[in-house]
Amino acid sequence: MKRKILNLGLSLVGPIALVVMLTMPIGPLSGGLGIIAPTGGIFDVGYPEPALQTINLPGLDANVEVFFDEWGIPHIYADAVTDAYMALGYLHAKERLFQMVMQNYLAAGRICEIVGSYAVSSDKYYRAIGLARGAEETYQWYLKNRNTNEDVAYVLDILDAEVAGVNAFIDSMTSSTTPIEFKILGFTPQHWRPVDVFIWTKMMSWSLASGADDLYREYARTTMANDTMYNDLFPDLMPYNVPIMPEQHNLSLAEYPNSAGGFPADPTPPPTANLASLSEDLIPADKLKTLLSIIDDVILPVELREAMGSNSWAVSGSLSETGSSILANDPHLPLQAPSLWYEAHIVAPGIDVMGVSFPGTPGFVLGHGDHIAWGMTSAAYDVMDFFVEQVNPDNDSQYWYNGAWRAFEVVDETIHTKDAGDIAFDVKCSVHGPCIDSVMGTYNLDSTQTPNIAMNWTGLDITHELLALSLLNKAKNIEDYYDALYWWDSPPHNFIYADDEGHIAITAAGRYPLRTGYLGDLPIQALNDSVGMLSNIPYAYIPRSVDPAQGYLQSANQRSYDPETYGWDVIGPYATGYRGRRINYLLNTSSSVSMDDMKRWQADSVDVSAQWIVPYVIDAWNAAGDGNATVQLAVDWLSDWDFSMETDIQAPTLWRFLVDALKYEIFDELRVTLDANLRTPSTPVLERVIRENENYYLDDHSTGDVETRDEILARALFRALDEMILKLGSNMTDWYYGNFHVTYFNHLASLTVIGGGPHRGWNTLNRAVSSWDDESGQWRVTHGPSWRMVIDMGDIEHAVGVYTGGQSGNMFSQHWDDIFDLWYAYDEETEQYGYHLMRFYPTLTLIGDADLSEHFVERMITFVP
Amino acid sequence: MKKLDDMFPHFNFLKLILVVTVIAIALQLSGAWVTMLIAGALGALLARRHRTAFFAGFIGVAIAWSAIFVYLSLTAQTMAIAEFFIGLLGLSGLGWLVIVISVILGALLGGFGGLLGRSVVELVDELIPPETSSEAAPVQEEQSESEPEA
Repeated sequence: MKRKILNLGLSLVGPIALVVMLTMPIGPLSGGLGIIAPTGGIFDVGYPEPALQTINLPGLDANVEVFFDEWGIPHIYADAVTDAYMALGYLHAKERLFQMVMQNYLAAGRICEIVGSYAVSSDKYYRAIGLARGAEETYQWYLKNRNTNEDVAYVLDILDAEVAGVNAFIDSMTSSTTPIEFKILGFTPQHWRPVDVFIWTKMMSWSLASGADDLYREYARTTMANDTMYNDLFPDLMPYNVPIMPEQHNLSLAEYPNSAGGFPADPTPPPTANLASLSEDLIPADKLKTLLSIIDDVILPVELREAMGSNSWAVSGSLSETGSSILANDPHLPLQAPSLWYEAHIVAPGIDVMGVSFPGTPGFVLGHGDHIAWGMTSAAYDVMDFFVEQVNPDNDSQYWYNGAWRAFEVVDETIHTKDAGDIAFDVKCSVHGPCIDSVMGTYNLDSTQTPNIAMNWTGLDITHELLALSLLNKAKNIEDYYDALYWWDSPPHNFIYADDEGHIAITAAGRYPLRTGYLGDLPIQALNDSVGMLSNIPYAYIPRSVDPAQGYLQSANQRSYDPETYGWDVIGPYATGYRGRRINYLLNTSSSVSMDDMKRWQADSVDVSAQWIVPYVIDAWNAAGDGNATVQLAVDWLSDWDFSMETDIQAPTLWRFLVDALKYEIFDELRVTLDANLRTPSTPVLERVIRENENYYLDDHSTGDVETRDEILARALFRALDEMILKLGSNMTDWYYGNFHVTYFNHLASLTVIGGGPHRGWNTLNRAVSSWDDESGQWRVTHGPSWRMVIDMGDIEHAVGVYTGGQSGNMFSQHWDDIFDLWYAYDEETEQYGYHLMRFYPTLTLIGDADLSEHFVERMITFVP
Repeated sequence: MKKLDDMFPHFNFLKLILVVTVIAIALQLSGAWVTMLIAGALGALLARRHRTAFFAGFIGVAIAWSAIFVYLSLTAQTMAIAEFFIGLLGLSGLGWLVIVISVILGALLGGFGGLLGRSVVELVDELIPPETSSEAAPVQEEQSESEPEA
């Protein structure tokens, strides 16, 4: 008997060891090695989709028919809007659940629950900002107003439908429909909640309308200690800017007395504060430096600090080849896998809309209806301020406000981790907002420096972007467009518009805070309520242009208005303006614009800064060069260059190094006498100094001599070439731009990449935000046109679009990266990238008939109650 | 009461492998790899030696999983997924290795299941008192081993 028991014990060793081995996390494989079994694991995700499916969707009022075209884009036909959105929610989850979960957990400061405690600094950062707190507050506003505002009720109806659709998918998940990432990470998704929708909209707001520019400016100003130089080198208004609004179009103040989003408004601009009156030492330099490093370090997936970019333009019928208005838009966002976008078409009573949506969120962000089209670019104005609270020296839980010590509110933001239990974390909040330096403990800063830098950001308030989008998705004419954008308070965006009645318009939509007692571009101390964002510009008066005489509108993130003609001063980290200058030139010199022209312009890679600066460099070399053969070869490249950032020539490579070298040589004031960590002035400032021959900045103050512009520009050539040899090697003939400028973008969990290799463009209409990667020795493109769309309002059935990825989040689907292939493919002959037809059939019968001849329907789903 | 070895017939090795293969395919369709222990253990009811039970489980599950992989390779993206998976470990072009490892792991599950099953059978049979002579089981053709051989 004993022997039998011993045998049994010995026989248990193998199975137990094996079970442990197959379930224990191994490196990134938190799901254990058991997932490589032939079924029930990773191999289940590789099955093709059935051609015909019937799926039960509890809560539907009636059947919903979905046709998937050749790109996997669903065309959803329903008898009720809520049914259509429930189907969309199901499809969002089916194709992108992992993406939805990752993005939301990141935004909510819960990413440690998925990936473990190593990401705790990221969670602390997002908990400190409080996107989830703001989302909850916004959701509560919607609930409170559901019964009194039918538009709010509509938003909640479609939101509930979307969430129900997502959860129907989660509840029905099988091994073959569970995203492979969840299997690898060993994570089980929880139900989607209405507040999750708002968390993601807050995250997008944060990404598009936040930034620590006030802190960077503070650092520059205090380090330079020279307000004249500070204003010269870091101006708020970029030189040579072409504003977005050619003519201001106000609406009726009687009709829209409040600001966007229904906030209080004041039609009288407040007096402008004086920069010189502002204290320079509000934040100790070491604390400021650390805070900036935190902001730089922490994961910010959609951030646009140095990546500002989006284009849109529209021509009226008077300027178009077809006589109808034509609209183009390409928003520049992170190139990630899967894409931020999911494309769809919804047809239901009262709505017929097609475009791109955010997975997990109801509504279409960009696209067109049956009568109107719209696009967006970031308006880039500053809606975030930092208030330095005066902490009670005897009690650091208090700060001074309105003549008394007031207690900081302390929010318990305990962080749950997958592998290390709970991590305690408190966020202090003042009357101005959360103290973002609550995260500094993470970086081992002196713990006696209590958090006191409060962030006042309009995006953290109750915001109404979903309401605006839901109305815009149903809009039929320009009045509907005005009404919809009334609710768009955050993030500030230029909404370009065209309709089938021939109107074109653009509105720099958003809530414009009016600052009293300070400028808003630097941190401030406000000891009482007379200083702060005390009111807002009325919606009726925000920058807007409608049917301008010039026949076209354009926007590329530059300052939207001409300060000489617009009544308010709206500061912001606007784009350099080069793309705006380029598209303005192209539109201004064209008389019969076609869709093909629009597509060519979206691919345009001419660098306007090079157009203006390079001739001075060539002239400088001819005048002051020493005949060096290597430099002469490089100058020859520049002389032959048409300023287009193409992959098969060397000049663009040289130009990128040359810009840095020029800034280094010219702005020696920052390099030599100040702080090497200061940001360099932007390229338009460089252009101004060169074009205007500003001797003070051109002279190198580190030498005893006075250098001329030619001498400095020639020196920059040497510096650029030295750097190129160091980084690219000495074989100059290999310095083709395409060898060093490539696009490969990462999967959200870095499990794979989508990539195409050599990449055109840079600070050009065909925007390619790229940074040098020491490991590969290349510039990797990280941001760019995430969606390209061109629509002729007279022929809306032939609108085209394309984005950087594919409809499916399953990397083994044929629709994982098929649309990326279109997006990446540049045709030298047509000078265009690829697009797909945005099939737009308003009825089931019409799509069925069209498919009979064109055979584009790949599969169908019928959702049944 | 009859002993388990008296209740279940004794299959030869090839038959035993066939039975385990069929059971393994059926159970694996549930998607739970742990059921391969059960497949091996069920096979052990039809074996009389630990060594036989182990190898029948091992080979039976190996054949079952190989057959499923062949089917999946023909109907789904199995090789692409295998390549992706091995890529996570920093290797490339070795997708087949993932499948080989998977089959070996499955086979070990089946084998250990067989071993465990055989030990359980023998312990249970030890606990069951011998039957009266009229009810005695026929003499076994093969002598039961007293120790696991695998």
